[in-house]
Amino acid sequence: MTYVIGTNCVDVKDRTCIAECPVDCIYEGERMLYIHPDECVDCGACEPVCPVEAIYPADTLPTEWLWHLDAATAVTAGREDEPDAGPVDDHPDVLKLPARTGSA
Amino acid sequence: MSESLLSPPLTGPGPRRVPLPLITNPSEGPVKQSAKDFRSAEEVRWCPGCGDYAILAAVQGFLPELGLRRENIVFVSGIGCSSRFPYYMNTYGMHSIHGRAPAIATGLSVSRPDLSVWVITGDGDALSIGGNHLIHALRRNVNLKILLFNNRIYGLTKGQYSPTSEPGKITKSTPMGSLDTPFNPVSLAVGAGAGFVARTVDSDRKHLTSVLRAAAEYEGTALVEIYQNCNIFNDGAFEVLKNPATRDDHLLRLEQGQPLRYGSDGEHTIVRDAAGSLRPAAEAGATEGSDAEVIHDAHAADPALAFALSRLPENGGPTPIGVFRSVARPSYDRQVAEQLEQAVQASGPGDLDALLAGRDHWTV
Repeated sequence: MTYVIGTNCVDVKDRTCIAECPVDCIYEGERMLYIHPDECVDCGACEPVCPVEAIYPADTLPTEWLWHLDAATAVTAGREDEPDAGPVDDHPDVLKLPARTGSA
Repeated sequence: MSESLLSPPLTGPGPRRVPLPLITNPSEGPVKQSAKDFRSAEEVRWCPGCGDYAILAAVQGFLPELGLRRENIVFVSGIGCSSRFPYYMNTYGMHSIHGRAPAIATGLSVSRPDLSVWVITGDGDALSIGGNHLIHALRRNVNLKILLFNNRIYGLTKGQYSPTSEPGKITKSTPMGSLDTPFNPVSLAVGAGAGFVARTVDSDRKHLTSVLRAAAEYEGTALVEIYQNCNIFNDGAFEVLKNPATRDDHLLRLEQGQPLRYGSDGEHTIVRDAAGSLRPAAEAGATEGSDAEVIHDAHAADPALAFALSRLPENGGPTPIGVFRSVARPSYDRQVAEQLEQAVQASGPGDLDALLAGRDHWTV
């Protein structure tokens, strides 16, 4: 299992979750943050600190956000070997999302 | 007593070491397992952000490497937050008595050589309440893998100082600061004669897994101290060792046969001075007077190097992680089995029923 960040994060990227994660498994893209599903240890520290309620455990992810798990899997693949390599490239489906402004 | 309770009769040779049964499928060879196979259906209940989650994930990710049947693996725990561990493993397990997991695991390991027995304990459970049991398991070299989660606090009881809390630490039970000198679990284990002693960090999955692998391969008691964060009652307990900005200057990664180097470019080193003590040197590769650079040897029969390494942080040096000591010693289990075999050879298989119902008794 893993936690997954959904659409509410897009263009928000509060980043509190990054500071909270004890295993540094949250990676930053241009438009949103992604959790590496194999590095996530299911501790749940990120979920309550997200100000826009973007983070869910994979098994209770809203149906319309299910694709974010596949997106995060694709975007973070291989990053466990080079965790300090800077930002990740956003997933194509994330790039297609309309621009969001203000709070969610 | 009914016949069935004593059947089969408790006679014949005692337990002997047997290779642990590997999972095999006659047509396909070894069966592939994954971390998922070791997850139980229980909802994991630790505080969000607890280091225990990282250790659980690392253990579940590592166990498939062993290729053992889940029913041949047992996790025995004592009391404390970490001791909830067996509930979350899809193996056999026992949430046992405070501090007594090593004693229960000793009986299990000696009498059931077909099991891989793991003990899950914490700094309070292992070093305070169960300190006695721990040192005796270590000196006997029972075939146990002891994972000691050290977060330097009593978390389950909401934040009292533990046997590894730093001097001066202010907690609910030490409002003016702790006066106790803490235990260093690695020093304690080396002092108790342990054959395998290692230390790792909860958040470093690769290192944690490599240490688990080394512990699993060791026949005898393997003590693994795991530095673990308690983000509720002792947050940042090992921050200096985890923060990318500071860890390189404070963490010494022990590697067999390699000099003791640390720093972002390995620019610091550890030397042995004329008095025989280990201490940090100004420059790597430089020898100062008679000081000699030290090469790590976990297999040295003499525990002096392992002990000196364990004391480095107390002597102003970095904190070593990795395998401090890994020395072959006859395991308790094997010796018990051999002794039983000798007894059977000398006196026959024995008959427990006859002994219990016999006339051999004492009056006091």
